[in-house]
Amino acid sequence: MARKSFWKRITIWRYLFLFVCFVIVVGNPFTNYYGDINFIQGWFQSLGVGNLWVVSPLEGVESILTAKAFYMPSLVGMVVPVTLAFLMGRVFCSWMCPIEFLSMLTDKILGLVPKWGNKLKYRPDLIRLSKRLLWFALVTELLLTMIVGYPLFVWWSPPGLVGRETMFYVFYKHVTIELTIVVVVLLLNLLTRRMFCRYFCPLGALLALIGKWRQLVIRYDAGVCVGCKVCDSRCPMGIKPSVGESQSVYCWNCAECVDACPTNALNFTWRDKGVLKVPSPPVALGKKT
Amino acid sequence: MEKRKSTESRRKFLKVSLGAFLSGALTSCDLSRFKNPKTMVKSPIGPNVLRPPGAVPEEHFAQKCIRCGRCGEVCPYHCIKYFDVKTGGVFSGTPYVNVMEKPCYLCMKCVYVCPTGSLVPCAKEDVRMGVAVINRQICVTWQQQKTGLMCKTCFDVCPFAGVAIKIDHDFRPYIVEENCTGCGICAYSCIADTWYENKGKKAITIMPIKWKKIKEIKLEDIKKS
Repeated sequence: MARKSFWKRITIWRYLFLFVCFVIVVGNPFTNYYGDINFIQGWFQSLGVGNLWVVSPLEGVESILTAKAFYMPSLVGMVVPVTLAFLMGRVFCSWMCPIEFLSMLTDKILGLVPKWGNKLKYRPDLIRLSKRLLWFALVTELLLTMIVGYPLFVWWSPPGLVGRETMFYVFYKHVTIELTIVVVVLLLNLLTRRMFCRYFCPLGALLALIGKWRQLVIRYDAGVCVGCKVCDSRCPMGIKPSVGESQSVYCWNCAECVDACPTNALNFTWRDKGVLKVPSPPVALGKKT
Repeated sequence: MEKRKSTESRRKFLKVSLGAFLSGALTSCDLSRFKNPKTMVKSPIGPNVLRPPGAVPEEHFAQKCIRCGRCGEVCPYHCIKYFDVKTGGVFSGTPYVNVMEKPCYLCMKCVYVCPTGSLVPCAKEDVRMGVAVINRQICVTWQQQKTGLMCKTCFDVCPFAGVAIKIDHDFRPYIVEENCTGCGICAYSCIADTWYENKGKKAITIMPIKWKKIKEIKLEDIKKS
């Protein structure tokens, strides 16, 4: 199977980007504590870089829902992630989330096991649920939040907890029991790849919902596909690009299938390229074959 | 048949794990408070445990705060700490200042990084984290007949000395409640606990208050609380 050359693989850039984001989130308590450098503060619930600040959409919405009041700076902070989701879908989940980084790392480490490496890395799903569960997770989360009257995802969100526990460890030299949530999420990943992200993550659900009409999608070219189904086994979200599911809401643009495809049948493309495509007459196709 | 069995056990597993998660979340609240939804969860804020400067009233604070931890990261004295799920329940992750561990020095850095308006930018003298209360039975200067001491530590350390803390003709300190920011430096540095009869008690406690703006405060309200 012909593989793309190392630097042309998109996943390499994804791993690099994930690593950089992870370093930023985990490293900034250290710079804040030991260096008193406050250029970057916070983590993915609200990240401040210089004068820019970013508020995670679900946490911002929850805070608005429970406080029943708008606060302009927090709305402004939500503009960047929402625009990003509109353009590129769930790229936060696949390109930035620290949980995805840790899951990816466990996958890579499992891949180093001799003999069964590949089987463990691309393990089949042990627990397979309905993908629609994702939406119900979002609704349940919002309902529970409004019943309790206090935002809930703000304290149990696994990507946020990675940052918070690091900060607790650096600042106060202890970790809290919330760390178990992160551990459970990573253990679920062993049962089914990205089980939490697929079925239970309300933030992912919200981003997927926003990204339903995203511009950046993975295009499946049935004419080039040879039907080897490598992409199906590689997809961490358990969807099947080989039957054209790559443009569905559940795809998070991680580019695993793009790199795995031996015939380049799967490619990133912007949905609106500014060119009207005239469908080619069927006669031309008939001649070719 | 085999397939059915496996789905059944899986469902059981999911149900059990969901139940465990929910019960864990619920036990963090005090069940007796479910009678009244307004007070369903009890705030862990109390004497000497206060919100950072510029905080909105406590009943809105945990609703607005998104637990991003930026206030604690910019605090140069590292006096802002966070509740965890054991100590705070649903208040887990919200910031607090325990003035007995480390008081707030009113550098006002935290209020400018809060993304959700839980901490509202305000001037140093408008901060109302709480109000200092002097226990005159314990204060060594108020008991100078007995102790023969004349300490004015609280007056010396107060960032608004002469405005928020004044001393009378016998050097006995008293608080001007309208001007007290509740930063807790006086409570932190009070030396009354070293006097052997006080058994480690400090003479000054910072009591949390429910309002923020200086103009809204009436003296009767403070006396009530």
